[in-house]
Amino acid sequence: MTQRDLEDLRDVTSPAPSPAAKRAAIDAALVAFDATSAATHKNIESASQENIRAVRPMRTSNANRSFRMGYASRQTMAIAASLAALVIAAPIAFKTYEREQPISDTLEPSKPDIDARYAQPIAVDEKQKLRAGDSPSPYAAVAREDLATSASVSAAPPPLPLDTVSPAPMAGLADGAQHDGLRKISPSYLTGNLLGRPIERSRAFIAGIPQEEPTASPQYNDRDVFEATKINPVKQVASDPVSTFSVDVDTASYSFVRRALNAGHLPPKDAVRVEEMINYFPYDYPAPATPDIPFKPTVTVMPAPWKPTDLLVHIAIKGYELKRAERPRANLVFLLDVSGSMDGDDRLPLVKTALRMLVDQLQPDDTVGIVTYASGSSIALEPTKIADKQKIVGAIDALGAGGSTDGADGIEDAYRLAEANFDKAGVNRIILATDGDFNVGVTDRDQLKGLIERKRATGIYLSILGVGQGNHNDALMQTLAQNGNGTAAYVDTLNEARKVLVDEASSTLFPIAKDVKAQVEWNPARVSEYRLIGYETRGLAREDFNNDQVDAGDIGSGHTVTAIYEITPAGAPRLVDDLRYGKPASGTHESVAGTDNSEFGFLKLRYKKPTSSTSELISVPISNALAKPAIGDVSQDVRFSVAAAAFGDLLRGAPFEAKYSFDDVIALAQTARGDDPFGYRAEFVNLARLAKSARP
Amino acid sequence: MDDERDETLALRAARGCRASFARLLERHYERIFRLAWRWSGSRAAAEDIAQDVTLKLASAIRSYRADAAFTTWLHRIAYTTTVDYLRRDQRIVATEPSEIIRLIDASASTEHADTGLSDLWKAVRSLPDQQRDAVLLVYGEDMSHAEAASVMGCSEKTVSWHVHEAKRRLKVLLEATG
Repeated sequence: MTQRDLEDLRDVTSPAPSPAAKRAAIDAALVAFDATSAATHKNIESASQENIRAVRPMRTSNANRSFRMGYASRQTMAIAASLAALVIAAPIAFKTYEREQPISDTLEPSKPDIDARYAQPIAVDEKQKLRAGDSPSPYAAVAREDLATSASVSAAPPPLPLDTVSPAPMAGLADGAQHDGLRKISPSYLTGNLLGRPIERSRAFIAGIPQEEPTASPQYNDRDVFEATKINPVKQVASDPVSTFSVDVDTASYSFVRRALNAGHLPPKDAVRVEEMINYFPYDYPAPATPDIPFKPTVTVMPAPWKPTDLLVHIAIKGYELKRAERPRANLVFLLDVSGSMDGDDRLPLVKTALRMLVDQLQPDDTVGIVTYASGSSIALEPTKIADKQKIVGAIDALGAGGSTDGADGIEDAYRLAEANFDKAGVNRIILATDGDFNVGVTDRDQLKGLIERKRATGIYLSILGVGQGNHNDALMQTLAQNGNGTAAYVDTLNEARKVLVDEASSTLFPIAKDVKAQVEWNPARVSEYRLIGYETRGLAREDFNNDQVDAGDIGSGHTVTAIYEITPAGAPRLVDDLRYGKPASGTHESVAGTDNSEFGFLKLRYKKPTSSTSELISVPISNALAKPAIGDVSQDVRFSVAAAAFGDLLRGAPFEAKYSFDDVIALAQTARGDDPFGYRAEFVNLARLAKSARP
Repeated sequence: MDDERDETLALRAARGCRASFARLLERHYERIFRLAWRWSGSRAAAEDIAQDVTLKLASAIRSYRADAAFTTWLHRIAYTTTVDYLRRDQRIVATEPSEIIRLIDASASTEHADTGLSDLWKAVRSLPDQQRDAVLLVYGEDMSHAEAASVMGCSEKTVSWHVHEAKRRLKVLLEATG
């Protein structure tokens, strides 16, 4: 009976479209078509890719005229930019909150006792921003990227004819009541677009227009999402002697920064995570001899190249490298985003090539399954042993992009496959490759996080491979990978894919220690102030260190992790003044009985073996003996990682290396190129050169 | 002169021929609109979606390589755009109370209220997305399961399963409404 009913569906006549709508749609498409023609000689691929979501409805004969405004002079754009900044101020503020980035987070000191310490860095920060030509508004710090966005909005041609454009800016500002009024007087397509997604849509507009004047669209105006973080401040040893953090072996930030710089832009500051820039590079730190203690810390103390009165405490951790035969069996499930947005040479095709390379690295007994997701999810390959390589490669080759993105179903399917093939003694891991655009379908990030956490408890881990740019949802990828005991890597070139999936395959895939936490207690008799460079998203509370329930980062086979502290020795000029009513902060400290004043501090590392749930402890005193008189005396690896740290801090506008420049970074890195068989360090030097001339 | 094959026009448009592209749009706009209307059930939304589709075509046509019939290719784009649009729309409903007004306004002028099939339509649209898509492609657009599978980007078996599930559910839904 329903069968017959269903067949009736075919015969249902739809209403005829209105001729006006048809005309408008076709005109708009032709304008867009012309735009791609214009872009053809430049870069047809990227242009058409962007244009897909670029051009907004133009039901108007003015379409051509307004579209051409996209090429208007820089001056016009600048004026328009400031207007638009005013006009859409409300949505900006709203959007800022949406990003879980309270404004107060950046502007207000979080604790009363650190007022004084905060004052200076913030002041410098503000000045820098002003010099850079930003709005002097107190929101500048937060809204910087969004202002850039609004500049693009206005620089973009008004998507509507003049007679209908007037209510449009209001629509962006208005809330509930006004919406309704507007809705009634304006055609639904108009309100639908403007009210439903004001910023997202309009900011996407400019993206498709060939950027003749890239200066008018500073930073990124596409949809990359980064979580804003506060740069670790300088802390006083007297009030805050203990610093605790989780190790981090992610590298996504460096690849993203590279991509931005190669395109001639400075990366958005929130995209720069200094620890990921440092940890991107392979370092030849001393390795542990046996797997019994899975990693070995090496500490070096040296003068800070950017502030001679400060010292750097460099903590290098090297994981034990499993020999091939010692590797546990791998049960891998690839979860691949094959939505329309993955269509593009730097996305799905890149992932496919990377997977083929990875399959070559695995052993016959390992299994690989593939789940794809777009509008829905499907199983492209049931778990198959590497011995049957032809079948796996065939399935990879058959993958194609199309459809929208709905990540949640896919993740559930992938976990189901991994569970079905679960190997208690082996490594069970899902590798998710996506451009990070989960925004369709999954709106509840916490729910997804919860799922991944539960699965982690069952022994299935998640790693994330980010590709492409424009949809890159960095914050979400970070959250997912961190909650899944995984790593997030961003892959933009084949070389990078090889690095992540082949050279580092064993470290990405085979953890040797999990929940690795580091804690440093500083000796107030020797150190007055310290700051941890990077690791902002990895900070832990002091009491979390000994709490085995608290999750932290993993170290894979052969991984290296580097953390660098900048410390001010007792007696040297300090950033933070002593409290008038507190006890003296440093220098005058009596040495505590029983402590050794030949130590700057004490490093403790806690970790769990991959299959254990109780942690073990490694501790190392940071003693005078580790100190080198000059940075020229430390190993090339250590020196290079310092250059990487300084580069990261400069890129994100940290106030600490004020007298240091990109040239200094280049000079320092040049002395530490080492063997560099894959040219990573040479590339770094190149990027630092690009950063000098990159536009904000 | 309008007897040229879609594929010929599309290949020419792919190389940058504006007139060919315009003719394709003229020829297929109604088809796009109809699909959008079947999914959305509202004229305004369908016009909106149809325009999204034509805009998407403007750049997508550049990569048309005639490895599929033009209409199949077009269906795929129209379908994904429609589904994307509807998903987005759902999100707006969830976050914006004022949207309710629009729904009330729209229901006053529902165009399919008098077709006699409105209950079935409503029921089909209330199915889970993938089931709805399978049913509309197979019964609305008159595709084979294999064609629907290629448009939805899943296997033929999956489509059959969705159709099967949809029928089961529709039966319950329709019986409930009497």
